[in-house]
Amino acid sequence: MDDDFLRTVRRISDKLGGNHIYSSLSCADILRAIFHVKDKNDVVLLSKGHAAPALYAVLMEMGLIDEEEIEKAGTPSSRLQTHPERGTPGVLLSSGSLGQGLSMANGIALAAKMDGVRRRIFVVLGDGELDEGQIWEAAATTATYELNNVIAIVDRNGRQLTGPTHEIKIKEPLAGRWSAFGWRPVECSGSPEEEILRAIDLAEETGRPTVLIFRAVNVHEELQRRLWRGAC
Amino acid sequence: MRSFRDAFGEELVRIGESKPDLVVLDVDVSTSTRTRMFATRFPRRFIQLGISEQDAVSTAAGLAVAGKIPVLAGFAMFLMRAWEQIRNTISRDNLNVKIAGTHSGFSDHVDGSSHQCLEDIALMRVLPNFTVVCPADAQATRCLLSQVVERTGPCYLRLGRDNASSIYDQEKLELGKASILADGSDVSLISCGPTLGICLEAVEELRSKGFSCLVLDLHTIKPLDDHSIVQAADTNGIVVVEEHRVQGGLGSAVAEVVSERKPARIVRIGVRDGFGTCSRRYEDLLSLHGITKESIIRAVEALMR
Repeated sequence: MDDDFLRTVRRISDKLGGNHIYSSLSCADILRAIFHVKDKNDVVLLSKGHAAPALYAVLMEMGLIDEEEIEKAGTPSSRLQTHPERGTPGVLLSSGSLGQGLSMANGIALAAKMDGVRRRIFVVLGDGELDEGQIWEAAATTATYELNNVIAIVDRNGRQLTGPTHEIKIKEPLAGRWSAFGWRPVECSGSPEEEILRAIDLAEETGRPTVLIFRAVNVHEELQRRLWRGAC
Repeated sequence: MRSFRDAFGEELVRIGESKPDLVVLDVDVSTSTRTRMFATRFPRRFIQLGISEQDAVSTAAGLAVAGKIPVLAGFAMFLMRAWEQIRNTISRDNLNVKIAGTHSGFSDHVDGSSHQCLEDIALMRVLPNFTVVCPADAQATRCLLSQVVERTGPCYLRLGRDNASSIYDQEKLELGKASILADGSDVSLISCGPTLGICLEAVEELRSKGFSCLVLDLHTIKPLDDHSIVQAADTNGIVVVEEHRVQGGLGSAVAEVVSERKPARIVRIGVRDGFGTCSRRYEDLLSLHGITKESIIRAVEALMR
């Protein structure tokens, strides 16, 4: 992540209370990559809504929101709420309450299949929100209907609000869990853009829903060090 | 027909014939809610989510933003476990999702307290953007269902099981406007759903005692027909009858309007406290909780004293 982008995420995060900078940094490159590779008709859902600063930074980079709007972010009259709300460019459904994005993605995907419309739904999940039972209700739905137009991406940053994920509630074996639910899990180590493009192909080939697991544990620590060091 | 769910299931199929965007979501209760009829007629527009109410609500949200008209039917009680999803997505994003809660009140008398939803009016009428409707009988169910499908926006339809009275024949009900079932000037009876049948029985007997009562079917609980309620407050008092807790339900909704607009005495008849039980007969549960013709007559007489 370049310094300019890192600075933007931080600046937006500060305007929104600054509580979720860590979670925003760990998925910023993922969101950026999705918006780069997605077709016009595709949908992006940020299920981990508290990472809104990363989303807004991407939208700003794409020219969908401007500097003036960023200045007003987090005020009552701004579209840029602390958690994304419907009506903001690129936001089809509000989030903020965890564990619900995958179900929403399934709904959009089911409609696309019914209508014979080519449309991919990228849904970004936090690892912490995998504690929610609804995620697994939804995971079973995706597999039941073989919705290979849903691409789930887990930001496995290893942290949730009050501590390391493994101390709060076990998440591993994460790939094994998704696999057991009928998904095709992919452990990702390459660039998000390449991994996502590969996943799209994989989903088309296999006909199964695909989940990408990005283990960003070290990435965000390095980013944070850069932030605190004042490099940005 | 005296079954809410049969009327609901049949009407869904009828509407489905002319509305290709209508899709029905089930949480493994389609035989009970009668959405099985729709599944048989339109298998490709029927989505089985399994026993996953929360997933079903958020999936409906996705279908709605993609241009579908999702109708999610399940037991009222178990749909309420997804209240937060309903609140945070369907209500907040003002989505065109229709939620039908069947087996409400004591109608699932056999299954007991875990299945008997006495809180859904309270939970649903506080949600912005929502229309909340509780039909009195099979004809009202058909008539109001077709109107809520026509109206863009979220709706909660409160249905019983097979406990419908026979109130309406071919009359047309107007969404958002209370129906006057009997005219009178002594006391006003306001109710919604199956308890209207009890109100009409009470009115017959009260008439023979020399009392004339206005009876309002307040089938649309939100938005509320304030005007009709204020008019009802012109009598010597209002008796509200509901198959729901008195806290937060129809009686509370009426009291909110009356206390602000035209203070009048109100007696609320409904479930006071505690829970239901299983019962072989539906009517026995109503009696146990004082939702009876006799309670209504006593209340009217007290107001006239």
